[in-house]
Amino acid sequence: MRRLACTGLAVLAAIVMVLALPARPASAHPLGNFSVNQAVRLDLYPDRIAVTAIVDLAELPTLQARSAVDTDGDGRVSAAESVAYNTQVCSAMARAVALRVDGHRVQWTVRPAGFGYRPGSAGLRTSQTSCALGAAAHLTSPARLDLVDSYQAGRVGWREITAAGHGVHLLHPPVPARSVSHSLRSYPADLLGSPLDQRSARLRAEPGDGPGGGAAIQLNRGDPVSRWVAAADRKLEGLVGGRLTPLVGVLGVVLALMLGAAHAALPGHGKTVMAAYIAGRSGRPRDAFTVGAIVTLTHTGGVLVLGLLLTATTSLAGEAVLGWLGIASGVLVAAVGAAMLAGVLRRRARVHGHHRPPAHDHDDDHDHGHDHRHGHSHGHSHHHHGHPQPHPSGPPRRLSLAGMGIAGGLVPSPSALIVLLGAIGLGRTAFGVLLVVAYGAGMAATLTAAGLLLVRVRDRWASHPRRALARLAALAPAGTAALVLCVGLGLAGRAALGVLH
Amino acid sequence: MRHRILIVGLAVILVAGVSAVFGLRHGTSPNASAAQAPGTRARAGQAPDGQLSEGIARAQQHLRAVPGDYVTWAALGSAYIERARVTADPAYYPKASGALRHSLKLRPAGNPAALTGLGALANARHKFATARHLAHRALRADPYSADAYGVLADALTQLGNAPAATEAVQHMLDLRPGLAAYARASYDLEQHGRLGAAAALMRRALGDAVDPADIAFCRYQLGELAWRAGRLDAAATQYAAGQAADPGYLPLLAGQGRVAAARGQTRTALAGYAELTARYPSPGYLMEYANLLRATGHPARAGQQLALAAAALRLFQANGGTDDLGAAQLALAQGDVQPAVRAAEREWSRRHFADVADTLGWALHRSGANGKAISYARKADALGARNPGYLFHLGMIELSLGRSSDARHHLRAALALNRHFSPLDAPAAVAALDRLGA
Repeated sequence: MRRLACTGLAVLAAIVMVLALPARPASAHPLGNFSVNQAVRLDLYPDRIAVTAIVDLAELPTLQARSAVDTDGDGRVSAAESVAYNTQVCSAMARAVALRVDGHRVQWTVRPAGFGYRPGSAGLRTSQTSCALGAAAHLTSPARLDLVDSYQAGRVGWREITAAGHGVHLLHPPVPARSVSHSLRSYPADLLGSPLDQRSARLRAEPGDGPGGGAAIQLNRGDPVSRWVAAADRKLEGLVGGRLTPLVGVLGVVLALMLGAAHAALPGHGKTVMAAYIAGRSGRPRDAFTVGAIVTLTHTGGVLVLGLLLTATTSLAGEAVLGWLGIASGVLVAAVGAAMLAGVLRRRARVHGHHRPPAHDHDDDHDHGHDHRHGHSHGHSHHHHGHPQPHPSGPPRRLSLAGMGIAGGLVPSPSALIVLLGAIGLGRTAFGVLLVVAYGAGMAATLTAAGLLLVRVRDRWASHPRRALARLAALAPAGTAALVLCVGLGLAGRAALGVLH
Repeated sequence: MRHRILIVGLAVILVAGVSAVFGLRHGTSPNASAAQAPGTRARAGQAPDGQLSEGIARAQQHLRAVPGDYVTWAALGSAYIERARVTADPAYYPKASGALRHSLKLRPAGNPAALTGLGALANARHKFATARHLAHRALRADPYSADAYGVLADALTQLGNAPAATEAVQHMLDLRPGLAAYARASYDLEQHGRLGAAAALMRRALGDAVDPADIAFCRYQLGELAWRAGRLDAAATQYAAGQAADPGYLPLLAGQGRVAAARGQTRTALAGYAELTARYPSPGYLMEYANLLRATGHPARAGQQLALAAAALRLFQANGGTDDLGAAQLALAQGDVQPAVRAAEREWSRRHFADVADTLGWALHRSGANGKAISYARKADALGARNPGYLFHLGMIELSLGRSSDARHHLRAALALNRHFSPLDAPAAVAALDRLGA
């Protein structure tokens, strides 16, 4: 089990590395023609601190600064004038960029590092000024650093701060190590992005050869399956908006079924974990169907309620609701996992401590009125030539089965929600509801199939003639219980981070 | 064989479970793009456009999760236009256009919000005929959209169709009486010279305002109305109240600069304009600053500001705007009379707004065509706006045509409204009246 976990983690780490490519398209156009843009890069070494500050003036500020650059007014910028202006800007920058190490303000040594023009729009020019600020420091013991950039605070513009340690480790830096704008050379052009406006940063540094990297800004591009699902999502949204013929209707329902199935197969929402749960708790095929049905019902109902709420009020933020539902779902999964674990441990304690015969053990787990069903499990254990082994626990309790189903369906899938909202907007509410039901049914199908598969695998495995493997099968309940608990906590924690952020 | 299946199965579960924990899922996570978080948070901390920034950040986050929500795309586009207005940064226009067009692409028919947003964008870019067309289309999709009537009213006002503009404002007032409708109705009354009624409506708008930026806007407009009527102290009080509400509302600096100049506090006035044009280098403010510099004996610095105004105008056009009115006024300030006449005529061929008639008349007067000039100067005053600038131009043209009594009447009327109406023109009006022996 542990080796498997290690292998799984290693594979996962490799996937993460591959997926974590720097993304986000960049544009050559500057942010705005009125803007004063700044990039402050902080490099921390054990014995010194270096700041590289770049000021990028857009077309109008460049023109406004013209008389400050061309001091003799001859219409040309001489080398001496350029250096004088560079020095002047950098002195102002050194006054405005305040860094405090453990509360003591650092005194900068200033070195002008360049000034130049670049062609801008409308036949005008933009200008870039670079400054190198430096100071001695003792970052050989843990230190707190507070950086505040108040240079040209009243002007509109892009302001970014980056920080990197070299032989100094930064603990959870709030700013990235690399500039998203490639040091103001290209600004991300994204309709959903606001200009960066980072004016201060609080860092904690400690000695060490850590990676020193900050929060790298990355965009998850997703694996091929996710991309396919996303493409199918768009297809379905398109179908809802297009002309509605019977063929399109059937196609839409089929597509919704497939999408639901695919979404359940994608990791997330702890859906897949439920299959493991059924297997681990020695569930029966019927349990898999029950969970599937509950997931469909919960998901359909959740999407409908949330969809109606979102169309009825504008003040409700869909994000927040999804976040809170995510927390609830995670807590529910964790609770079921904890109950499972407690049950397994209790049973194991009894089995090992008192060698109680399996038949008595079952008393704990009796589902009232269902005792006669134990025959199947008994049959298995008695085949095994009387080998001592803990007896698989009884069928999952109805309560925790329902809990798992509800947790799985509680967080509405955003794509189903969009399909519904789009349909309501077009006055095709009934079609939208039909698609959402199909979506839920698709999800349930995957889940039930996965559950059934695992039940089959477990049954075969448990009856394996080789002793080691059979013993491993016996460990499965504890392992799955722990996994369900961990995943539940993880889901709840992640959703909470999203909500509280 | 069997155990191989099992190992694969377990590995699948593990990877699935762990990746659920680590958030490998594609896109749908609420905090999928942490990239935007620092910027938006810092923006929201700023007082002036805090609410607007919050709204923009929320819409952006929502659209990352729900990219097909055309209503929010339209709202985001409109918020970008508002941001461009507040920050005076035209770079938000292409962004706004992108968001609004995306909304329209998602929902081509029956999407009045996107059409209204595109109309507001066209107004901001001085493409008033396009704005009128878009507003009409939006109203066909939703005849009860107060916002669409607002866009229509703005476009019609600027196109010089005053009766239709008044009607659109009335529709807006009926559908949704509130700050936006009151402010437009107030402006409509101001165009007709009914300054008292305009101020009363603006005070109602102020009563509706909650956001500091809105309060500052209303106070600024009240200050402008007081200034138009020559009540310097009342204007100064309103500007100060606006600044107390929102120190970041920049037009207040222009108002305070005008009052300071009228009171003879030249140094304060120049410092105010210097700060204003550093933070908000719009062609209009740069020209006002240049006027003040020239009136106070700084012709070289005035020339620099006019060069900046020319650059700002070029950038406005490079960002998809059209402003031949501004170009004509700039050419006049620079003494290029013939280009001014041509630019003003181009603008007049597009729209018959009072300001355009006034500028065209004045350009024609400067080129010596006083016979043609006077008809435009009269058109400017046709609604009875009681604008001292219009009256001054009319009086000076009449003086050139030898109509002394008309000239005396209009020049006196201009000075009676506000004897400080312009640092350059008010003294010129006084001198002309002296020559007339009044």
